Amino acid sequence: MSTIAIPVAGEIPPAESTGRVPGNKGIWVGITCEFVEFLVLFGVYFVARAHFPESFEHGAERLSQFSGTVITLLMVTSSYFIACSVASMRAGQQRRSLYWLLAGLVVALGYPVAKYFEIQWNLAHGINGESGIFFTVYYYLTFNHLVHATWGILGILWVLARHVVGGYTPDDYAGLEALASYWHATDIIWLIIFPLFYVLA
Amino acid sequence: MKPLIQPLSQPQPSSAIAPLTHAWLALVALTVISPFLGHWLHGVAWLPVLVATIIGFKGWLIARRFIEIELAHPFIRRVTLAFISITPLALLLTVFFGNQFARWATL
Repeated sequence: MSTIAIPVAGEIPPAESTGRVPGNKGIWVGITCEFVEFLVLFGVYFVARAHFPESFEHGAERLSQFSGTVITLLMVTSSYFIACSVASMRAGQQRRSLYWLLAGLVVALGYPVAKYFEIQWNLAHGINGESGIFFTVYYYLTFNHLVHATWGILGILWVLARHVVGGYTPDDYAGLEALASYWHATDIIWLIIFPLFYVLA
Repeated sequence: MKPLIQPLSQPQPSSAIAPLTHAWLALVALTVISPFLGHWLHGVAWLPVLVATIIGFKGWLIARRFIEIELAHPFIRRVTLAFISITPLALLLTVFFGNQFARWATL
């Protein structure tokens, strides 16, 4: 009579090395989709740049570099504050984590305000979506990013409301970290947009 | 159920503020200097190389310090690093092989 060895569940080795999921799986599905979307948009940018190099070389000189720099500083600073919020939560400093998140929200709100003034400046200098291929791609990409940032700001508001009522603890802060991951991803995208439109002349 | 003792080889997410501050200061410095680089190196052939390097480095800083990508699941790590790498490479290809790319991308 033959015998069959049945492996015990705990003895099965993992098929692939695993790491942690910052936040939760759902937000990383969203972030991956966001990355794919912007890769397509960057593809449009590079195809347009390859076809009209002169338009792209002169276009950056007409944009407000000051506005681009201010938006970049707002993005990296709000990203930093929200990263500090997550770190404080891990350290068990819940109130400090709340203050960092609030600071992140206040700085993040500066982005749409700065964008509003940038558009006013553009229009005053005769720059609109029909001013040439460079500006069409510029408006398309930067408005798209603004939409994603607006979702992020709404997310910050939601997470802030949950934080205020004690929705996160040092043992369970997945929602806070998910928001932070999304905001950092949106920050990375802006850090690519900034030099493509405001620096490379 | 969480194990009572974590294996020593498995690094834990950081709760320190200092590494985040260092990364933020580097990001601010690179951001502030970027427009000046654009002016000073206007027309210089290797400006796109410098810009592509800065894009990659800033993205890597955010990924490493803020997202802690080295602790993340391999899929998340690969997706993020691929996204950070593709655009600087595409920029260099477009700048140095623009004509060929334009021909290839013409319908």
